[in-house]
Amino acid sequence: MKKKAIGELLNEWKQDADMRERIVHWHTIEAKGASLADFPNKLHPSIQAALKERGIHQLYSHQRQAFDIAMEGQSFTAITPTASGKSLCYHLPVLQSILEDSSTRALYLFPTKALAQDQKSDLNELIEQMNQDILSYTYDGDTSPSIRTKVRKAGHIVLTNPDMLHSGILPHHTKWVSLFENLKYIVIDELHTYKGVFGSHVAHVLRRLKRICQYYGSNPVFICTSATIANPKELAELLTNESHKLIDQNGAPSGKKNFIFYNPPIVHPTFGVRRSAILEVRDLAKRLHNEGIQTIIFAKSRVRVEMLVTYLKELTKRKIQNESIRGYRGGYLPSERRQIEKGLREGTIQTVVSTNALELGVDIGQLQACIMTGYPGNIASAWQQAGRAGRRQDEALILYVAQSTALDQYIVNHPSFLLGQSPEQARIHPDNLVILMDHLKCASFELPFKTTDQYGEFEIQELLAYLEAEGILVRTSDKWHWMSERFPAHEISLRSASQENVIIIDQTIPAATKVIGEMDRYSSMTLLHEEAIYLHQGIQFQVEKLDWEEKKAFVREVDVDYFTDANLAVELKVMSEDQEKVFEQGAVFFGDVSILAMATIFKKIRFDSHDNIGSGPIQLPPEELHTSSSWLSFNRPEGWTDSMLTDAMTGTGTSIASFIPLFVQCDRRDIHVVPQVKSIHAELPTFFVYDSYPGGIGISERVFEVWPDLLAHVEQHVASCPCDQGCPACIGAQDATVGLKDEVIKLLAYLQLKPKGEFHVI
Amino acid sequence: MSFEKNLLQMKKLIKKKPVKGQSLAPFVIPERPGYSSTWEKAGLSLIENEFGVVFEKKTRYEPDYRHGSFQLEDVFQAFILWNSFQGVHPVSTDDQQVVFFDTETTGLKGTGTYIFLIGQLKWNGDHFEMIQHVLADPSHETAFLYASGLWKPDHTIITYNGKSFDWPQLQTRWTLNREHLPKLLDPAHIDLLHASRRVWKNELDHFKLTKIEEDKLGFKRVGDIPGHLAPIIYFDAVKSGNPSTLLKVLSHNEWDILSLLTLFIHTTKLILQEEYSETVGTSTNIGKWFADLKAFEKSQKAFEQITKQYEAKEAAKAFYYLGFEYKRLKQANNAYKAFEQSLMYLPEGLRIKSYEELAKIAEHTKKDFNTAIEKVENALNLIEHSKILTPLKKIRLRASFEKRLIRNKKKQTISRGSADFDRK
Repeated sequence: MKKKAIGELLNEWKQDADMRERIVHWHTIEAKGASLADFPNKLHPSIQAALKERGIHQLYSHQRQAFDIAMEGQSFTAITPTASGKSLCYHLPVLQSILEDSSTRALYLFPTKALAQDQKSDLNELIEQMNQDILSYTYDGDTSPSIRTKVRKAGHIVLTNPDMLHSGILPHHTKWVSLFENLKYIVIDELHTYKGVFGSHVAHVLRRLKRICQYYGSNPVFICTSATIANPKELAELLTNESHKLIDQNGAPSGKKNFIFYNPPIVHPTFGVRRSAILEVRDLAKRLHNEGIQTIIFAKSRVRVEMLVTYLKELTKRKIQNESIRGYRGGYLPSERRQIEKGLREGTIQTVVSTNALELGVDIGQLQACIMTGYPGNIASAWQQAGRAGRRQDEALILYVAQSTALDQYIVNHPSFLLGQSPEQARIHPDNLVILMDHLKCASFELPFKTTDQYGEFEIQELLAYLEAEGILVRTSDKWHWMSERFPAHEISLRSASQENVIIIDQTIPAATKVIGEMDRYSSMTLLHEEAIYLHQGIQFQVEKLDWEEKKAFVREVDVDYFTDANLAVELKVMSEDQEKVFEQGAVFFGDVSILAMATIFKKIRFDSHDNIGSGPIQLPPEELHTSSSWLSFNRPEGWTDSMLTDAMTGTGTSIASFIPLFVQCDRRDIHVVPQVKSIHAELPTFFVYDSYPGGIGISERVFEVWPDLLAHVEQHVASCPCDQGCPACIGAQDATVGLKDEVIKLLAYLQLKPKGEFHVI
Repeated sequence: MSFEKNLLQMKKLIKKKPVKGQSLAPFVIPERPGYSSTWEKAGLSLIENEFGVVFEKKTRYEPDYRHGSFQLEDVFQAFILWNSFQGVHPVSTDDQQVVFFDTETTGLKGTGTYIFLIGQLKWNGDHFEMIQHVLADPSHETAFLYASGLWKPDHTIITYNGKSFDWPQLQTRWTLNREHLPKLLDPAHIDLLHASRRVWKNELDHFKLTKIEEDKLGFKRVGDIPGHLAPIIYFDAVKSGNPSTLLKVLSHNEWDILSLLTLFIHTTKLILQEEYSETVGTSTNIGKWFADLKAFEKSQKAFEQITKQYEAKEAAKAFYYLGFEYKRLKQANNAYKAFEQSLMYLPEGLRIKSYEELAKIAEHTKKDFNTAIEKVENALNLIEHSKILTPLKKIRLRASFEKRLIRNKKKQTISRGSADFDRK
């Protein structure tokens, strides 16, 4: 049977009645030609030769622009979609500068170890083609002690990640004198990933880095590359505390792209139930597989990735040693991931199922088709996933398959939501005091502050006095000295509060137990509880024992026809009320809360039919989070029953949650909104807004200030939304509960806060 | 002088200056700590230099001063032993000024960890002298480091774990003060932790100095503070101004350094004085160490001595290593005998290797393929029933022995064939 090209396949689909019904919208993005520029005259002959060897005779316009700006010594940020040759934006100026002066050093930062290792092989290949004596090394937890000294002293280009910089390099800067004295470039790849809590931490790591550079007399240029987000320049400037030029005209060509919005068929007309998106994706993926089209499938959770891999492996079951279908997600061991990436580049792997782990710039080459199982949660992510499909000369297919959730249904019916809007902004807040204090400790450890010093843009003398009172610093005539045994960088994790992962141990063969993966604590509560079915590369394992103290899960291979799904119960308690503002309808507060998350029960769900075939309890201690919160408690409007209030508050809560990022500039994941009809502490209807970070990152503190404005805005938006019943754009899509939107509007009208009495602090 | 050497001399003349953005400000001498007179009353002397102040404590010991089982002057015998030793050994020293050196720090690593106490023990013409420098406060670090004199050339330092801890830490502090201090050169450095690990491998479980003191050097501390409390004690002395507990840290450091000296005496004698030995294990370890350093004359002598002196059971490893000595000397018969004698009492892993060596000699030198096959089969049998080898290791070992087995069987057939042919 002859395999069809994408164009042929699409023509076929256009004729197919079933497909025509399911394809809700067909959007075509036309091919775009390249915008090219000549090599700069001064570009070193060996670089020119290496590029020519790669078949590159001209640069894309953005690469040329990047070179010119960098050579002027100006920091810049370039928007670089997938496959636009972003790495040359930084390699060229860096290599050129090293060839001009061999003492020059550059530091490359990647959000993960994996990306750094990926880029190193690419960079080394280029250097080899140049036939020059330039040394580049990765420096991370895997770097063997025997070459560490060499990296520190002689590495021209050091590729690392922010975590390593934070705890492995900066606190030992005296071992890196030759790097810091000669540091000319700091490259930050995947800028858009530095947002929210992580981004705020990294902003401080960079301020510490700049402080050390200044101590050793260097003043490096920052080069950032970013996926498409709404505010790259602003993010880069806030992250690096440095002014940036923006390169946003991309010169790379792109092939024609077909963006198809696909809604699974209705299988139960009375209740409007649609066929499961997973099964639909399975079938679509099979068709693409049969045509030999290299495809990436994005699924939202690890479990879904594994389910899809299991389903699809049926296709190759009878072919021995066939590795053409693979899963890819966090939790696989690095060696396994490298192998999969290589398989994708070389084409031995034809279909890969991934979580958003492959949104990042891991080099897997360009694939022909991309299937999104549901909306990834934000516009920027959706475009990044879509960007994985599209070879330069080839037509590309992007299939968005809607799940039956409200949000997905809204998007499949309103393609302009995705196609017509600019992607989200990425926000960080380095001035959060909790994070600031953490890094002030690290900075004090690295170098004593003078009694006249600033730190980045911050005035810190009073904060240092506080640390002295805490017994961590000692003040002498003109400096604050670190006087503690502690190593602060080890106590501060840039990623999340729970640093300790659960190790997954396969004990199928008792004499040969082996570690097959790892998982963060929070996820393991619902995925690695005892009796859970854990899927790894499509193989089922049952968890036999979860040793929570030691953070180890022991699993054994099984063959069953179900998967497990666990419930997580969340409880919220008010610890202290620090501030209060009284209004006519109620009052808003700011204080501390404790959140208790506990895995309760799990269900066994049969494959294919998705029937519930059993359940059991989960015995794990609850995980606790102390954070700051702002909440609004109000008197129940007259005539409202509990159930009316529950529905209306749920809808209103959704709306509030989607507007908070606008008001206080944060990532959506950084906050949570919880409505309670009768709160435990005040017995009044209450909306809680809390920071999803231990100790809080000051978001709810800002929310406390803006409640009236926030509610006014929410009311106006919901009232003017064109939908009838409520939709993801306003109150969250509804399960056909007639009239709910009206109730939300009524509640919001009631909640337009009017001042009463005076502001007082208790 | 060769051309390269000339060039290298030139290279030292090329001076690079670090590009400095800011701090070329002249050095400002920091203020004296307010508690200076209290610390002086407690018995520390305040020393002033061009960078500030530092506290100092000097202690004098007569040559016959006894610390545990040794007198300090025994160290001269140790020097004599080394001076007559021909060859390179990581514990050897020549006639340079020898300094026994130890520090106390405020933490374990990183630029936020200060050294607050440097203790040095030297011979001073007619007596031994301990000088301990105490960091007056962190702003007086330059003065403290300068006073230590460690930047002066031509001395040999002897430490315990100094190669991976004290000296790198000192380098870190030096780098942070490098604008004002003379350059810190790397002196000849003998780390006795390394030596202790070689000498007492499989003989001691822990290599804490206090443990070795008790087990090997005949010294027991009374009223010592645990080392891990030192940082807190220093912080307290600086914050409160009261040095009384800090003086206990000084005693702790003093004991460490005295034990360092006696440890040097003891290990030197074990290594170089033939009649001075502890156990067969220690002697074998030392022989092996010589072998690894390619001091074969020494190692062979050591192993021969052990095999003469001890029962076969105790001398098994010595026989085994001796086998390699003879193999290197191409004395196949001697080697074969030594490996044979080692076999019975060797631990499993080494026994497999011993069989391998026997099989090699039988195959390649003696051309005795029957014996070679027998030895290989012995090894395979051991591998098969081993409880300590990992499955992967088993597979690898088995594969290599089976290869040897097949080859020998082939040779056996051929040699039988040719023997038959000869007979006809």
